[in-house]
Amino acid sequence: MSYGGAAGEPLVRIRDFRMDLGNQTIIRDLSFDVHAGETFGFLGSNGSGKTTTLRALLGIYQPTDGTLHIDGKTFEPRDGARLGYLPEERGPYKKESVLDVMAYFGRLKGLSRRKAQDWSRVYLDRVSLADKASTRLDKLSGGQQQKIQLGVTIMNDPELLILDEPTQGFDPVNRRLLMGIIEDQKRAGATVIMVTHQMEEVERLCDRVLLLKDGVAEAYGTIEDVQDRYGGTTVRVHHSGALPASDLYDVAVAEHNYAELALRAGTDEADILRELVRSGVAVRSFTTARSSLEEIFLRVYGDQNEPAGG
Amino acid sequence: MAQHNLNTVIGFEFFRTVKKKRFWIATLAIPVLLAIVFALIIMSNESTSTTAENQKNAHLSFTYTDDSGLVTDTVATAFGGTKTTDSARAIADVKAGTVDAYFAFPADPAKQPVRIYGTDKGVFGNGTYDAVARQILITTAQQKIGSPQLTTLAQGNVTIESQTYKNGQVSGGIGVVIPPLLFLVIFYVIIILLGNQMLSSTLEEKENRVTEMILTTLDPTTLIIGKVISLFMAGLVQMLIFALPVVAGYLFFRSNLNLPDVDLSHLTLEPGPMVVGALLLLGGFTLFTGTLVAIGAVVPTAREAGTFFAPLMVVIWVPFYVVSLIVSDPRSLIVQIFTYFPFTAPVTAMLRNAFGSLYPFESAIVIAELFIFGFVTLRLAVHLFRYGSVEYSKKLSIRSTFRRGNHA
Repeated sequence: MSYGGAAGEPLVRIRDFRMDLGNQTIIRDLSFDVHAGETFGFLGSNGSGKTTTLRALLGIYQPTDGTLHIDGKTFEPRDGARLGYLPEERGPYKKESVLDVMAYFGRLKGLSRRKAQDWSRVYLDRVSLADKASTRLDKLSGGQQQKIQLGVTIMNDPELLILDEPTQGFDPVNRRLLMGIIEDQKRAGATVIMVTHQMEEVERLCDRVLLLKDGVAEAYGTIEDVQDRYGGTTVRVHHSGALPASDLYDVAVAEHNYAELALRAGTDEADILRELVRSGVAVRSFTTARSSLEEIFLRVYGDQNEPAGG
Repeated sequence: MAQHNLNTVIGFEFFRTVKKKRFWIATLAIPVLLAIVFALIIMSNESTSTTAENQKNAHLSFTYTDDSGLVTDTVATAFGGTKTTDSARAIADVKAGTVDAYFAFPADPAKQPVRIYGTDKGVFGNGTYDAVARQILITTAQQKIGSPQLTTLAQGNVTIESQTYKNGQVSGGIGVVIPPLLFLVIFYVIIILLGNQMLSSTLEEKENRVTEMILTTLDPTTLIIGKVISLFMAGLVQMLIFALPVVAGYLFFRSNLNLPDVDLSHLTLEPGPMVVGALLLLGGFTLFTGTLVAIGAVVPTAREAGTFFAPLMVVIWVPFYVVSLIVSDPRSLIVQIFTYFPFTAPVTAMLRNAFGSLYPFESAIVIAELFIFGFVTLRLAVHLFRYGSVEYSKKLSIRSTFRRGNHA
């Protein structure tokens, strides 16, 4: 099976999705598309409804209302051979050997036993676990088990990868290794939907993002779109002399002879430069930068505590 | 693809079951136990036989009185006896240790006990007195009858072959009953030994958080059916291993083990009861498996599953409390209830089927009932697994899974 899809049609299409659990509405009127070949960041604080949306997309939950389609239809497990899903709550068959588990999932994805084992050995070598092929999974560390799960997810080069917190529990070295693997999948043409709290990963990998807040899409578009809408521009100034108070900007960072100024609405960079020069400030350098996704994330979700769940 | 996945699941589940140490511990424990019991029986039989023979032929120095007049001096003397008329003196001699024992044969040995007064030779040694006194009476009786044939008959050592008829045709007797009862044995072995594994088969996916990866790769129906088939196969492996020592014992150690001399050629495989037995086994297995898997899908841990497991195991033994009624009065109300109540039906109906008291229309109803209930519970198990297994750490509300289903 292959995700054919009509030209121009999104690979994932969610329309007016609503999810009630008990008397509580978890998601309301959520609509977004993910196009074939793009890497999509699905962002939000804990409890905002990301995992619920992914589970509904994959038929694990039944939606209260709305349509959730992959390649033009509701997902069914028999279409799973071309899908790689790494859930947030995950674990392996603990009493079995690494190779047995990987070969099992490989076979379920349509590979022959031999091919599944060969693929697994190559992958284990890449993630430095070649000597663990015959080891029971419960004898591996948490991080090693996660590597195996990622391997199972990307087995048979899926066309759609859905990764819910793929790097949780990884140290920086292994996180970089895993992000490299995901980048390879992306380069090979896979469509990737990624839930993560690592904003630098999102900025590096994602083409578009959606920020979910309390079950509602707070922001949706390219990273630049979101930065323009929510972050705006920051001015970085190296200077001599005291900065004047002004209605044009807020001082975000103030150090000795250095400041970061957040532009207020209706202001542009030139207005600030003129204001500084008029006030007698000696400006040695003046650069502009967009707000980072992390800054935007903090701005959007900063008023929220961290409730459990996804 | 579905067939490929089913085969994959069966292979994975079967081999990981039979690769587990606890599977082999449970499987080999029974044959090993049987082998030990058989060995003890053989040793004990040999020892008992030797002891009995020694006791029978033991020459004691004893005195005796005979109020019956049956015991002849010749026989008593041959065993070392000396007749006396003074029982008080005889007892005093025993106490003094000048003779081993004194036997007082009563006027009617058939109704009154033979009294023995002997010097203590230990628990086993004292048995000699009993054996000798008994053998004296037997030898005496044989001499009085004067015919080896009559003596054999008097001892009840006769062989009887009976032939009965049912609907004008020769019926097979016990030879017809035994084969269908094997289905009952298979049912018990599978449910008792593998019930716990059925219960925990889906729990493992939940407890290890494998569920979501499985549910997006594999249809839950395929997963559950694959698990059920693999467990059934594992059960058959266990039964083959259990049967090995029994078959070996029967073939090579029959006389040592005092096994009844069952002529297997007399076993009759009647198609009707055999087919009904097989269908009852499959239906019952489906029902119990579906129920156990459904329970596993609802509860969050194996520990909580145990609460439901015990009552279910009790239910399959309940029909044995009325087994005499099942055999002698199958139309009684309690037997009828047990025949049709789904969880007691397999055992009750298999017993009645073996003893020939399950009528064809009853068979049809019970088989249909078991398959329908089994199918429904399996569908329920699949539904609960699909929509309930991601409730990893809490007990599932069955109602909520159907509420979600309504929104589909």
